[in-house]
Amino acid sequence: MELLLPLVASLLIGAGVFLVLSRALIRLILGVAFISYGVNIAILLAGEGERHDAPPLLQLPGPHNDPLPQALILTAIVISFATTALLLVLALRAYQVTGTDHVQELADRPDPARPVVVYADPEYPSVSPEIGTANDVDAGGEGADT
Amino acid sequence: MSATLLLPAAVFAPFVGAALAPWLGPRLKRRSGLLLWLAFAPALALTTLVPAALRSAPASSSIAWVPTLGLDLTFRADGFSLLFALMVGVIGVLVTLYAAAYLVPGERQGRFFGYLLAFGGAMLGLVLADNLIALFAFWELTSVTSFLLVGYWDSRAAARDGAVKALLVTAFGGLALLVAVILLGLGGHSATLSGLDVTALRSSPLFAPALALLLVAAFTKSAQLPFHLWLPTAMEAPTPVSAFLHSATMVKAGVFLIAKFGFLLDGTAFGQVGLYVGLATMFWGSYLALRQNDLKALLAYSTVSQLGILTAMYASGHPFGATAHLVNHAAFKATLFLVVGIIDHATGSRDIRALGGLARKLPLTAVLAVPAALSMAGVPPFGGFISKELFYEAMQHEGALAAVLAVTGSVMTFAYSLRFLTVFFGPYRADAPEVHRPHTAFWLPVLPLATAVVLFGVAWPQHTVATALTALAAPGLGYAVKPLALWHGLSSTLLLSAVTWLTGVLLHLLRARFAALQERLTPGWNANSVYYGLLASVERGAGDFTRLTQGAPFATHLRVLFLGVAAVGAVRGFGVALPSLSAVPVDMAVATGLVVAGVGGTLLTRSRLSALIYLGLAGVASTLIFVLLQAPDLALTQLLVDTVTVILFLSVFRFLPAMRRYTRPAVQGVLDGVLATAVGATVFSLLLSVQAPVAPHIDPFFLRYSKLLAGGTNVVNVILVDFRGYDTMGEITVLAIAALAVLALLRLQTQQRLEPEAEGPAEGGADPPAPATVPGPSEGDEDPGGAS
Repeated sequence: MELLLPLVASLLIGAGVFLVLSRALIRLILGVAFISYGVNIAILLAGEGERHDAPPLLQLPGPHNDPLPQALILTAIVISFATTALLLVLALRAYQVTGTDHVQELADRPDPARPVVVYADPEYPSVSPEIGTANDVDAGGEGADT
Repeated sequence: MSATLLLPAAVFAPFVGAALAPWLGPRLKRRSGLLLWLAFAPALALTTLVPAALRSAPASSSIAWVPTLGLDLTFRADGFSLLFALMVGVIGVLVTLYAAAYLVPGERQGRFFGYLLAFGGAMLGLVLADNLIALFAFWELTSVTSFLLVGYWDSRAAARDGAVKALLVTAFGGLALLVAVILLGLGGHSATLSGLDVTALRSSPLFAPALALLLVAAFTKSAQLPFHLWLPTAMEAPTPVSAFLHSATMVKAGVFLIAKFGFLLDGTAFGQVGLYVGLATMFWGSYLALRQNDLKALLAYSTVSQLGILTAMYASGHPFGATAHLVNHAAFKATLFLVVGIIDHATGSRDIRALGGLARKLPLTAVLAVPAALSMAGVPPFGGFISKELFYEAMQHEGALAAVLAVTGSVMTFAYSLRFLTVFFGPYRADAPEVHRPHTAFWLPVLPLATAVVLFGVAWPQHTVATALTALAAPGLGYAVKPLALWHGLSSTLLLSAVTWLTGVLLHLLRARFAALQERLTPGWNANSVYYGLLASVERGAGDFTRLTQGAPFATHLRVLFLGVAAVGAVRGFGVALPSLSAVPVDMAVATGLVVAGVGGTLLTRSRLSALIYLGLAGVASTLIFVLLQAPDLALTQLLVDTVTVILFLSVFRFLPAMRRYTRPAVQGVLDGVLATAVGATVFSLLLSVQAPVAPHIDPFFLRYSKLLAGGTNVVNVILVDFRGYDTMGEITVLAIAALAVLALLRLQTQQRLEPEAEGPAEGGADPPAPATVPGPSEGDEDPGGAS
């Protein structure tokens, strides 16, 4: 049993990693869910002290199990649910806007909200600058007072 | 007004003026300068503090800010600071008035005067500050305002480039200064300049690094080799700015620093470093000045050269002569810059080759310029001669090399001063169709400066005026004033001066040949090419780094991340003892079986619905495991969350295409499989190695006090809502934000779904939906996409 549960946790995480590296958006999200499952079990295994037979409910006779990892995992379960839900809706939205559920195609698509900026090769002046005169200022601009 | 009030008023009045300038600019237009010079009036009123400074009882004032950290706004007006402050005030007033005539109508007056006054305030703060951190802050402010002023004509590429260069170089020095003042404060046990414990500082190990950094800061600000490159390009600024910042005041801040800390440099190797860097700068600056054809560029390199003189003299312990030269240089160089501004306006050119005989057309301007140029050349009876003599005298004490550098540099100074004057004499050849005389408002502000140039060489009660001014700084810098006159007998110094004049005239006559020689000797690289090369390599490096680390596909980033995890396993995992697989209880075997089925099914299936069911299977399995591990709350939560997750997936599936098989290339698949296995193995080995607790378990605390303190028997619940209540609040917040985001995204979807219907017939079409505007799933979707 001490061998079995670590094996289960690593199986879940390993499968999650494989899925996350996949190219389909849905499989990526499934992968995140699998990793969460595995991590929760891993925290429970790693965090517990001596294992006892009673849950941390004080109305039952002790000795009780360590409650702290359980409290942490409870938080983790809820947060991973929020993550999965958000990812799912984001995937939906991304598909609606771009028409693809291919991870890399999504990444390669230009962001419509951000114009493509082309950086011009800055041409710096030579060593001894040609200093213009005071008069060749383009008039106007903010606060111009002609 | 008392000193406690006057000192901060002198510093902050220009800032108030700067704040008003943007409002006044559009209203008073060019006349705003005629009003705004009043911001320097409190600085002029600092004259009242002169007697106290001469009695070596300098006025001071302090505004507490964070006294425990030694952060106070402390000002102290010793003689030297006062001399500088008055110089800033006087030139500030004249330049502000001059600028009112200089700026053409239609320029952004408010902005210009705002920057200019802000600089004036920063400069006054810098010279009057006693607190080391305040000194640094004002120092940086002068860099920033200088950046803004150099880039004032921001539509010009050269102005922008000059501004950036000035900022990069001086801000680099600013960083050095920050570290230097912190080290000085630590070593000297004081937050103020005047309170430094010099004996403690000298014996401190921080002393040498502090001085080295101080010199770096001073060299960058005062354009000493190899940092001189920024000053000539800063001449892109409007000419009043060049006169004020880049010749008379700001560039002297570095010199000011060396002078203020001169007592520390005494007898150290750093004094010698300052001496020779200054002399090299003096030599190289005047050599380059001789090459320039632009009047303003000539003056720029000349300023570099003159700053070298000041650096050399202050660093090698000759503050008396240095201060005399400081005052002289401020007067003649500001005059010359302003004269160039007049020439520029009158003729539309600053090219020495194109100008000549201007004395006939601009007689008054010539009258203003000639004494100033002769003072620069070191010709009697002007102030420049006196300080040049002091310079020679000092350098003779410093050895042959110093003297030779000083004389050769001065010969070239003499030659370029004569070259400057050629624009006024000889046949008239200005290219401009007509030369118009400058308006009175243009030359009037130059008059006091030009008068000063003449006066500084004239005897007044017993010494010259320059000497009298120099005496003001004496108590601050701690030197003895020597009475000086134009004539002080035949001496080796006078002999050197004579040699300088003769050789200088000769060099001027042979100018064409010398210029050809200079052309031939010009190396293929210089400080500027190094600067641009450095800048380009930084840009290139940043680009390469970004491309290397950011350009990769999403999955590649993840692979790198997972590779790191696998590496941890490779390092830590081996040698973990495998416990024997004892008898497995039936329920545990069932849970394991479910996990294997869930994982295997998800990996193999092509249908997203089956994948979801397999995911649910794994969820049920982990619920079961929680039950078996005596964690009922977890099991309950997991079951609930799984249920909601499945519902959520199902409702979203409605709008998503069937799970297509984007199979990765076989090699990639195998590699990913290996990677996934490695990560799994890492987790496995880490879990096995976590056997011995690294810290005592704290569960007895929760088990004991859960009922006692919080009145709950479900300890997990008590931890969540009581012992770690803030954690849970954070968790709820995250959940709420996620819920809001989900809601917003779903609403966006429904809104856009309605739009095409309102517009009429669906447009369909095979073209991919245009980003951002076209809603809904594209055709070919399994779901027809009705109202959601």
